[in-house]
Amino acid sequence: MRLTKTMRWTAVAATTALAVAGCSNSGSSADGGAKASQSNNAPAKQGGTFRLGIAEPVAIDPYNTQESEGTLVTQNLFTGLTSVSADGTLSNALAESRTPNDDCSEWTFKIKGGTTFSNGDPVDAAAFVRGWTRAAGKDAASDVAYHMGEIDGFDALQDGSATTFKGLSAPDATTLVVKLGIKDCEFDLRTFHTVFSPVPAVAGAATNKTYNDQPIGNGPFKLDGPWQHNSKITLVRNDSYGLKKANLDRVEISILNSDNAATLEYQGFQAGQFDWARMPTPQLTAAKATYNAKGDWLEWDANGMNYLMPETADGPLKSKEARQAISYAIDRKAITQGVFKGFLTPASSLVPAAFKDAYQQGVCASCVAQDKDKAKSLATQAGLTPGTKLYFGYNTGGGHEEWVQAVAQQLKDVLGLDVQIDGMPFKDLLKKEQQPGSVGMFRAAWGADYPTPGNFLNPLLATSSINEDATTHVAQGDNRGRYSNPAFDSLLTKATGTKDLAERTKLYQQAEKIAIGDDLALIPLWGRHQLRVADLGKWTNLSYDFNENPTLSTVSQK
Amino acid sequence: MGRYVLRRLGQMVIVLLGATMILFACLFVIPGDPVGSLAGSDRARDPAVVKQLRARYGLDEPLAVQYVNYLGRLAHGDMGEDYTQRRPVSEILAPKLANTAKLALAAIVIDVVIGAAVGALAALKRYSIWDTVTTLVTTVVVGFPTFVIGMLLLNVFAVQLKWVPVIGDPGDPVQVILPAITLAIVDAALVARLMRGTMLEILRADYVKTAVAKGVPRRQVLFKHVLRNSVIPVITYIGISFGALLGGAIITESIFNWDGVGLAMAVSIQSQNNPIIVGVATWGVGIFVVLNLVVDLLYAVLDPRIRLS
Repeated sequence: MRLTKTMRWTAVAATTALAVAGCSNSGSSADGGAKASQSNNAPAKQGGTFRLGIAEPVAIDPYNTQESEGTLVTQNLFTGLTSVSADGTLSNALAESRTPNDDCSEWTFKIKGGTTFSNGDPVDAAAFVRGWTRAAGKDAASDVAYHMGEIDGFDALQDGSATTFKGLSAPDATTLVVKLGIKDCEFDLRTFHTVFSPVPAVAGAATNKTYNDQPIGNGPFKLDGPWQHNSKITLVRNDSYGLKKANLDRVEISILNSDNAATLEYQGFQAGQFDWARMPTPQLTAAKATYNAKGDWLEWDANGMNYLMPETADGPLKSKEARQAISYAIDRKAITQGVFKGFLTPASSLVPAAFKDAYQQGVCASCVAQDKDKAKSLATQAGLTPGTKLYFGYNTGGGHEEWVQAVAQQLKDVLGLDVQIDGMPFKDLLKKEQQPGSVGMFRAAWGADYPTPGNFLNPLLATSSINEDATTHVAQGDNRGRYSNPAFDSLLTKATGTKDLAERTKLYQQAEKIAIGDDLALIPLWGRHQLRVADLGKWTNLSYDFNENPTLSTVSQK
Repeated sequence: MGRYVLRRLGQMVIVLLGATMILFACLFVIPGDPVGSLAGSDRARDPAVVKQLRARYGLDEPLAVQYVNYLGRLAHGDMGEDYTQRRPVSEILAPKLANTAKLALAAIVIDVVIGAAVGALAALKRYSIWDTVTTLVTTVVVGFPTFVIGMLLLNVFAVQLKWVPVIGDPGDPVQVILPAITLAIVDAALVARLMRGTMLEILRADYVKTAVAKGVPRRQVLFKHVLRNSVIPVITYIGISFGALLGGAIITESIFNWDGVGLAMAVSIQSQNNPIIVGVATWGVGIFVVLNLVVDLLYAVLDPRIRLS
């Protein structure tokens, strides 16, 4: 997950809430926002310096790039096999073809020949093997290497018993063969993540501090001097880029204090110092009024989801009727209009609308509209009698206080439940969710790493994603609600092993119908929504990418 | 004098040990795994990675062993490695210390020049309109929270008037003005009040009256007897205040994105990046002890009656 800072961020940005989840976006521009790409395809003019602010990244070396900020930099310094457009469509970048074998246990990537790193070294299959092996190694202790977990030989690299990646081979300079331990017909989607970047020999080990701060890549931009920690990162156009060259001369990235980055970004934008910015939530309404009129406003639905995570193994929400009662009792519309001032919209599915083909609006029937009578009768059936204690955990400081109170009040009003709100720091919340005896429900959110519904369904709901520690019974995976349904699991396995995209999408939809439609293993609340101000009077071909970052490789002066 | 300084330095080591020990114990018994879920991610770190990192930072050792190891490294000037970027703490903090010192110095200059001058004038022209206005303004200013002053200055001078950039190069001297004023303004008001009060007291003192009666020129009385004695409490205050500023002005640095130790502290506390927190605190305690020593030595210089033995 590229979540870390995005989260803290959104948290700050969202005084009232936006739940902090993930990363990417895609698609459908929402209510009344300026059309981001209104002037795409305009003739490009070279030159110009684009300025924006980000919070200090964890890393800009692809071995450990994780949150949106680091991804913004790394993705402009490196080009991998594939790219994903803002609407989630996968296409080839350096790959010329991506071919799975019959049972999707082995993938062959043909690589575009003749491209180089900015130091002149060739970008060949060996460069990919080098980059992936480097990130998966034990010393790297990478937070994102797990994206390679499906590749044969990954575990041996992680525990230090191997130094070469068993599943990777480069029979010739332009062919990369990847053997998987788990059959996956969507493996090529993963290669979009920056951890799958090629690196030149000069990179050395993942612990090479010189390269960590000034990575040499093969992307549309290169660094102008090393990363000045907490101060700035400057990119310049890479004129030897092997694909479509960028128009901008420079990108000046100021590094901002993550605690009030949104405020600083917006102030910088107002003062004319930045060309792209987020805003603090309290100023959203005023900012929209000012900048929407000028055409400097971007607004879109991103591919993240906010939901309640009920504990399904034990406690008051063990039965699906109890969970449905909770869901029916919540008036999502009132909260999105009231607390979120209309900047968020109610959700009725787990897989967000951004996944156009897989999206099933209303798959969660109890999410569509509040129904007090149904809520009451289901609650009686489930033994959720008035006065029943219901634990509700959430993280403080993330702007969740207001909506959590609203939900609790609705549950109290409609069902008479004794809702016990428990706010705590984020890391404590994560820990609490993992504990074996955990009951009740938690506030949670998720954003996709790859444009596939499987990236929601698998990590959050598959039985294998509970990943319980044998001795402590702590849930180590992301399925903290410990939902387990064999029918759902087998549909998912079938989906990842299905080559045909339409067929696969159908299987994912069926799986979501079981877990969300019938079992309500997670209770969807509202989708993730993004808002930016951008100087569209000055720039053209400026839009947002899959990671919610500005499209630096295409933007040009007007 | 030499022995006094030596003894004070010895005390300093004890204070440093005590302070780091308490801090270390506090930080490492806080629930939650510092390398487990950094920076508030929506997912915890991979258990295998957490295990590797814990071993690398020696977090699997008992607390006492960790502390002794820390002291051993500290004696060699090694403050350890931080948990997010995995770079040496001293390398991360060194430029921040320089930035904070720059800001603190600018603030202190404003404090002393404006605060002392305003206070002295008010005392000399007691009950004049100047005195009344000073008292009124300083009372109001002292009550202002730092973040209000900071946000106000930033919004007016950077966002609206665009006289200074909102975010600038930390090396740009223009960039220091607003945060320095923000830091100095409350202190300057306090210094003014302190200066006024002390001076009024001294102006009434017998030795001043005697000097005036003996016909010593007014200028000489003022500078030799009154001002010199009035700055002693002010120096104590400034010394403590400078120490606090160097320790990191968390709020001001956060508002102005000033890349100093205060900002580092704010960010590190949130992500439980303990090596940075311990590093900043160790430095802060050290500075405080040294400044206290300097202040005590200055006393002796200003007032020969104070003996350092």
